[in-house]
Amino acid sequence: MKPGEGQRQRSGIIARESADAAGREGIVARPHAARAGLLRRLLEHEQVLAGLLLLPTIVILSLFIAYPFAKGIWLSVSSATVGNPGVFIGTKNFVKTWNDSIFQKAAQNTVVYTAIATVFKLGLGMILALLLNHHFRGKRLVRASVLLPFIIPTVLSTFAWKWMFDPTFSVINWALYRFGIITQRIPWLSNADLALGSVIIVNVWRGMPFFAITLLAGLQTVNPELHEAAAIDGASGWQRFWRITWPLLLPVTMVVVLFSIIQTFADFQLVYVLTGGGPANSTHLFATYAYQIGVATGLLGEGAAISLAMFPILFVIVIFQLWYIRRVEGA
Amino acid sequence: MAMIGGPRWKRWAYFYVPLWLYMIGLLFPFYWMVVTTFRPDVELYRSWRAATNTPLWTLNPTLEHITYLFTNTNFAIWLYNTMFIAIISTIISLFCGLLAGYALARLRFPMAGGLGASIFVTYLVPPTLLFIPLADVIRNFRLQDSPWALILTYPTFLIPFCTWLLMGYFKTIPKELEECARIDGATRLQAMIRIIFPIAIPGILSAGIFAFTLSWNEFIYALVFLSSPQEKTVPVGVVSELIRGDVYFWGPLMAGALLGSVPVALIYSFFVEHYVAGVTGSIKG
Amino acid sequence: MDTFDRDKKVGSRVDRRTFLKVGGAVGVVAAAGGLEGILAAQRAPAYAQVRKLHVLRWTDFIPEADGELKRQAPEASKALGAEVTIEFINVNDLQARTTSAIESKFGADIIQLLWNWPHLYASALVDVSDVAEPIGKAQGGYYDVFNATSKVGGKWLAVPHGVIGNTVAYRRSWHEEIGVKEFPKTWDAWREVGKKLKAKGRPIGQALGHSFGDPPTFCYPLLWSFGGAETDPSGKKVVINSKGTIESLKFFQAFWKDACDEGGLAWDDTNNNRAFHAGEISATLNGASIYVVAKRQQDKIKDDKGQPLYLDIEHGAPLPGGPAGRFALYVPFQHGVMSYGKNQALAKDFLRWLHQKENYGKWFEANGAYSVGSTKVWEEHPMWSKVDKPLRVYQAAARQARMFGHAGPATAGATQVYTKYIIVDMYAKAAQGQKAEEVAKWAEGELKKIYV
Repeated sequence: MKPGEGQRQRSGIIARESADAAGREGIVARPHAARAGLLRRLLEHEQVLAGLLLLPTIVILSLFIAYPFAKGIWLSVSSATVGNPGVFIGTKNFVKTWNDSIFQKAAQNTVVYTAIATVFKLGLGMILALLLNHHFRGKRLVRASVLLPFIIPTVLSTFAWKWMFDPTFSVINWALYRFGIITQRIPWLSNADLALGSVIIVNVWRGMPFFAITLLAGLQTVNPELHEAAAIDGASGWQRFWRITWPLLLPVTMVVVLFSIIQTFADFQLVYVLTGGGPANSTHLFATYAYQIGVATGLLGEGAAISLAMFPILFVIVIFQLWYIRRVEGA
Repeated sequence: MAMIGGPRWKRWAYFYVPLWLYMIGLLFPFYWMVVTTFRPDVELYRSWRAATNTPLWTLNPTLEHITYLFTNTNFAIWLYNTMFIAIISTIISLFCGLLAGYALARLRFPMAGGLGASIFVTYLVPPTLLFIPLADVIRNFRLQDSPWALILTYPTFLIPFCTWLLMGYFKTIPKELEECARIDGATRLQAMIRIIFPIAIPGILSAGIFAFTLSWNEFIYALVFLSSPQEKTVPVGVVSELIRGDVYFWGPLMAGALLGSVPVALIYSFFVEHYVAGVTGSIKG
Repeated sequence: MDTFDRDKKVGSRVDRRTFLKVGGAVGVVAAAGGLEGILAAQRAPAYAQVRKLHVLRWTDFIPEADGELKRQAPEASKALGAEVTIEFINVNDLQARTTSAIESKFGADIIQLLWNWPHLYASALVDVSDVAEPIGKAQGGYYDVFNATSKVGGKWLAVPHGVIGNTVAYRRSWHEEIGVKEFPKTWDAWREVGKKLKAKGRPIGQALGHSFGDPPTFCYPLLWSFGGAETDPSGKKVVINSKGTIESLKFFQAFWKDACDEGGLAWDDTNNNRAFHAGEISATLNGASIYVVAKRQQDKIKDDKGQPLYLDIEHGAPLPGGPAGRFALYVPFQHGVMSYGKNQALAKDFLRWLHQKENYGKWFEANGAYSVGSTKVWEEHPMWSKVDKPLRVYQAAARQARMFGHAGPATAGATQVYTKYIIVDMYAKAAQGQKAEEVAKWAEGELKKIYV
């Protein structure tokens, strides 16, 4: 039975039941017909109903995002500092940010960080999903425990990692040292490139389970008959994956990748706790640098400009992915 | 979905070994946290090169860190606060997401595309910028130092995802279902509530889990909008009280980290199967 | 306040929200009593209830000092006829709270300000000269450093509270083993000592990460001692790309390789404490917290012979000197009264109460020399004669402190240089192997953008 069919069957039964109920309600409702009728007609109207349904969302988002976002944009084009509203200065903050060498490093770091982390999360997540897509004892426990890195508050798990990477007390170094693999401590957080790598490792550790579970869900919709047919035709495991599984999973993959990119790009807590942007700015991201400038230095206008600098890039990525998803769905 | 067939070595090479590697990689930090929670302070200060240094286990487990956590800090209260805030934010976000997702997926009205896009776009705005003007809004509504400041602001980043997820889910449900119901006399509302929503329950569950996790995890809004020690959430409280300048209280810190993720893990273990089914539905959209 | 109170509070708040919006009343209504609260909100503001004062401070490195403050809060409440609450948060989060409080014009009434933050937040601080001047006069005068940090435009914008000194904590026995009885007075001498110790696996430890305390307190004095400076005395001309700076960078590169634990690039303020306690490093620049913690936890922190470690700790101060002299950068902190606060007079009274000799003295003693007083009279406090000999070094330490921005005034520009870690990164880049001239040039470029 295909996935949609089951739903149709189930909802057919429910539809009949609710139709009975509706009929019964209709009988009861007639005495109030006049007043209830107007309300009913309104609710039947597609646009009115849509408006009502969207109302709570629009209220909350307008109050708590629209205004702050508008204020944020205003901040970015003003010379505001903490306590001083400042004056309109147009694009000066953006120009200054553009020419800031630390900002350029942060931009570069963010792109590298997001790209590498996403690739690894996708790759490792896919492999894990394929592994979890089997029957084995303890399947449920394994699936639940695999999600643990995603569940634990980022701030707290990053502290654990901070100690695991500690320049002096790292347990990873200790283990490698004991096994004779290294003779010098690995400078996980002190070496500029390794530090970025360490931050990526923690991000992948944290985000990969989400990819895995979501891709697992997608895998379970792939009809095993397709695989069997292909196997009979002589396709190897690898070919079966690329020709059958991967294309069918593409819509899921794209959605998950999209959300992951957005979150990773705006990542703050992880880097803030692990390295604070150091050593020598080699792990600064947009969000951590914006925080350093806006809050620690009190230059709200510039901090806002840095924060908003992410926005166009994200926007482009989002549009591209939405277009791609639509294209894949259409095919 | 079956077990790998063929010779035994194949099963080990292609399944058990990789799976174990993953489990070790993903769960080692938690093992580390457990060991640190029960490790006495004396061992924490030992040199890494000392022969007696045993970072991977301890022979003298102690409960003093957990005791410290519960007696010297308001950890229990923080747990309650975080749970309270997470549950209610999740309910609000699910409610809004359900309604909005249905409207955007099933109803036709002008600006549908535009509204949908703008809801999604709000997801792109970084909280590290928003918190400053948002503090202003919170003050205007006199919500400062109240859990409601968070309960009303968390949906700003939860609703877009819930809406998106549920939209995708609703799109997979054939239109004929509603049409049948309406032909049989149901109103739009009734069709929505009686027919569509029950089918979407797995999607609702998965959106709920995701929303709950994000609320549980959130740091900066909780830091800025709450000030009394009794109002703090677990991440903020643990960081404030267990890190004093240049001294980390590692034992209680790790205890706090563990105990601060256990409740959520328990909830997950109940729902994870539904979560998997839920996301399946949404991705077809 | 237990959980049931909170539910009641939440409920009455949600009700009151609508009433407040409708009525527009601004009463500071007590949390208890839903109906009473609602009625009160519709009346004119009722001043009969208790005034509240909210003080925001960092979580002190020394828990006993915070304990003393928590003990003093109810005493102050009684003395002032108000409800005084002191909130403690992580030092790294102070600025986030301060920023949002100032921007939304709501938050703590008194906020602890570190470094020269009064300059940063000057527009939101109340003139407290009427509190600060009398205290200074009565207690032997403030240390010079506070003129730079708490006084803006000739007015006191914050009441100086204390200074955290820093010195080099070192292992006496290890140094005596190689024949060093006194802490080296010059950088070159220290480098030699460090070289010998590093060869024995006991390097010097220094943090160079993006952390608020240890890295700057090392790098700025290092720069100054070789004659380098950020600006000239006017504060407008950037002079960082000078011979002195380049010499200090070159020296530091050699010093780092020969004598320091090279993991220090990733260290924050806590790593050196732990490394020292575990016997990994032989010397490090730090506040008194290494000693104080080692002593207070002497059953846990031992040296390799099983003796309590604190017995082997000695302090050298200030940092060694270079061709231009010996300098130090300490962390001054002061209390600012926020201009958005509704209880400014009460706040000022509280600060006067806090600085009364008995009250301040108790806090001062609880610190055990970690934070020293802001006025010179505390140098003569009997605590100094009772305190362990290695800590006596902190007694007059605050007299020599300079503030960043030298040689210009410590304005918001200097703070920006500090928060962007430009000076720290200068030395970090040198440690990573970049050429001294390039690094100095980079710093010059960065500073020029700030000191426009």
